[in-house]
Amino acid sequence: MTTAHTGRSDENEPFVIYPARRVITINPAFPFGEAVAVSGDRILGVGSADELASWGGHRVDDRFAEHVLMPGFIEAHCHVMSGGLWNSTYVGYFDRRDPQGLLWPGCTSIDDVLERLGKAAADMTDDSQTLLAWGLDPIYFPGERLVARHLDTVTGDRPTLILHASGHLATINSALMDRCGIDETATSPGVARGGDGLPNGELHEPAGMMLAGEAFADMMQANRSEQARWRYANEARNAGHTLLTDLGTTQLWDPEQLGNWKKVTSDAAYPARVMVAMSNLFGATADPAELAELCVKLKSEQTDKLRFGIVKLILDGSIQGFTARISWPHYYKPPPGHIGNGMWLTAPDQMADLMEPYHRAGLTVHCHCNGDEATEAFVQAVEQVLERYPRWDHRHTVQHCQLTTPDQYRRMAALGMCANIFSNHIYYWGDQHRDVTVGPERAARMDACATALASGVSFSIHSDSPITPLGHLHTAWCAVNRVTASGEVLGPDERIGVPDALRAITIEAARQIKMDGEIGSIEAGKLADFAVLEDDPLSVDPMALRDIGVWGTVLGGVLQPAQISDV
Amino acid sequence: MSTQRLPMTVVGGYLGAGKTTLVNHVLRSTDERIAVIVNDFGEISIDEDLIVAADSDKLTLANGCICCTLADGFAAALMQIRSAGTLPQRLLIEASGVADPNQIAAYGHTPGLRLDAVVVMADAEQVRRQANDRWVADTVRMQLAAADLLVVNKIDLLDDSKEADDLCDWLAGLSPGAAVVRASRAAVPIDVLLGPGSASDAADGRERPAPDAAAAPGWHTVEDLFESQTVVLDVPVPMLVIEALLADLPDGVARLKGLIQAAPPTSADDTNAADAANAAAYLIEAVGKRTSMTPHATDPTQPPPRWAISLISNKDSLPPTWLAERLVRRG
Repeated sequence: MTTAHTGRSDENEPFVIYPARRVITINPAFPFGEAVAVSGDRILGVGSADELASWGGHRVDDRFAEHVLMPGFIEAHCHVMSGGLWNSTYVGYFDRRDPQGLLWPGCTSIDDVLERLGKAAADMTDDSQTLLAWGLDPIYFPGERLVARHLDTVTGDRPTLILHASGHLATINSALMDRCGIDETATSPGVARGGDGLPNGELHEPAGMMLAGEAFADMMQANRSEQARWRYANEARNAGHTLLTDLGTTQLWDPEQLGNWKKVTSDAAYPARVMVAMSNLFGATADPAELAELCVKLKSEQTDKLRFGIVKLILDGSIQGFTARISWPHYYKPPPGHIGNGMWLTAPDQMADLMEPYHRAGLTVHCHCNGDEATEAFVQAVEQVLERYPRWDHRHTVQHCQLTTPDQYRRMAALGMCANIFSNHIYYWGDQHRDVTVGPERAARMDACATALASGVSFSIHSDSPITPLGHLHTAWCAVNRVTASGEVLGPDERIGVPDALRAITIEAARQIKMDGEIGSIEAGKLADFAVLEDDPLSVDPMALRDIGVWGTVLGGVLQPAQISDV
Repeated sequence: MSTQRLPMTVVGGYLGAGKTTLVNHVLRSTDERIAVIVNDFGEISIDEDLIVAADSDKLTLANGCICCTLADGFAAALMQIRSAGTLPQRLLIEASGVADPNQIAAYGHTPGLRLDAVVVMADAEQVRRQANDRWVADTVRMQLAAADLLVVNKIDLLDDSKEADDLCDWLAGLSPGAAVVRASRAAVPIDVLLGPGSASDAADGRERPAPDAAAAPGWHTVEDLFESQTVVLDVPVPMLVIEALLADLPDGVARLKGLIQAAPPTSADDTNAADAANAAAYLIEAVGKRTSMTPHATDPTQPPPRWAISLISNKDSLPPTWLAERLVRRG
């Protein structure tokens, strides 16, 4: 352990005993307690209040007497842009709570989207400002397409841009098209056209979106700010999380981005620990060997709240975007003109060489693999680097792991690999996966937590926020119930029990970022990171798991009440 | 004026096909000020003698332009290039080894830019295996299909010209419309890559041979691979003749470029007679089946340019008088 800790408090600073309705420790040797004792930033012990009192000078704090304490939730796959996007207006299909705790109801029709934008435009005072919005997913509005002429009815002359949930498309209004010179003479294939042959305001892929100029650039720049980092952690705290990962959105060699991380996490009030992955996803100034060296250096300087040591790589795209690499028979009902399979973002036969420097430096490689062909390429690369440089306990992790097959899970177990499974997909896109992307059979075995469990692969589950909303009670609910947005159970045989889901969002998540010695369970000596819940996840109906209220968290002994502003 | 748009060349192809070698070759062989964009510095290795300074986010090249990455997106790269002091005459983008060159080529529609050509490199020894590989077959075939100019590189690694011919025929089938040319060490004549007249003055219009080209067997040396023809056009050419020429270029043509005066027909009845009084200047270009014809602004204070069309083709693919015949033929 590299972190300094305060140890037992002295006579002048007595430790605190928090009696609770129940303490769920996730420590199999001592699964439940009636109270937890906290000394400084550490857990002094779990047990009954009387047992804990025998440690000596203490005070009792009864504020959690009716609450259930769990280890703070650990999100091992999300992105700091989930904080930056809240600078813009949310127009997604599902309800979402912002970092201030305000609930934004989902926009379930195009009219809802327009109403939301009209209100946002009316609230703006600076006439020169562009209205930015995010979260639109046309997959939920089949047959109808939101285009510029719709936007114009509510935004008027104010330039407006909506970034779609996929991140691959944007829709802009006529005012912004005029400002950017996008008209009938546009030649870019990234400028979509309507039935009349004229640009309809939809911009595809970076080549199209960049034509929106500063509006798009402003949206991306917002992710680098201190404010984005605060919002990202506030949203997490509101959902019971105490550790977040930033998986490949930060350019760690950029002093400004790294500096902003150091600045916010050194603030005692900052409500989360953050594990920032090294990544070359969006370009790099150095080769992998230099990045590995930088990561090792950063790890040697890490603090309690700002952690390093994992590396994010990426092999393929997304399933709902038809860009994930999926084995034959590939996609079920791809859109017209689709090339048949998804795309590689890294050459599969280059993977072993690419990860070797990180592997040799003792770092843990987390690789984005949505399709099973991507998983296959990554597992093979791990086999290759292990043959070249045998290494115990690397914990290289398949991220997303959505279509990983049983034989791949068996190989992963044999190799000592971990999985981080995108269980939220079952709810948010499960219906589309069954009906459109991969068909009923493969949709039923997607995000296969039960197979991972049976194969002996350590696994966590995740939200990939901002792709889906952050909140481990909801993510656990998805893994336990496998209920889609339309209310159907998708692949009942891959459901897992609540106890296994609770392990997945705590100790198993800690394990794949190599922090399971410090966090992930409530036991003597670990950091005092708790999720403070209004009800007992092991007692409620599993279908009510996601409805459990969250008081907030305790982070390193510091109380972090959630901000919820229901109106 | 549209002729002022910055030409952009995309270099694509699978890993190991010779993209970086080609980029170095281009920088070494022309006096054109070329700015380079690469996917990331992890993949680039510009030869040291072509670099005068290295920063954390860009290289300054000997030609005064910079080489930067797509780390922050294409818009940011373009801004970096435009603020670097030396304005480039061309943009060269090296795509990643798994990228779809067409997606990169889409940036060529950014205002101020003009997509000149998508050059795709293929490794003569590996491309058949790659195009049937369990994992990357579709990626490689997608790349080949995107080419305007398909460079069959490392041709010297094949056993004989029969094998090379078979391979090129097979690749032509995978890349309809592309001009298929051969090279070793990516040493494609610069006039083929960038258009006639692009080679360095120092090289006297002739390609500098690749270091070991002399050692390679005769059937694939640069001199043996290409030939060119030029037709000088002192009088305006009927517009329809030019349109017909561009619409139906034979497979052997790698590059065509011309500065011409084209004239509309004198009357609807006689489409072959040019209305010389109403002729206008045009720049015409072709690489593979990608053709363009853009109005050309002439400067009245300068002597008139040399009105001519040049064409480079694979050796022995066209009669030496082919271009002249097309231009004088009527109807």
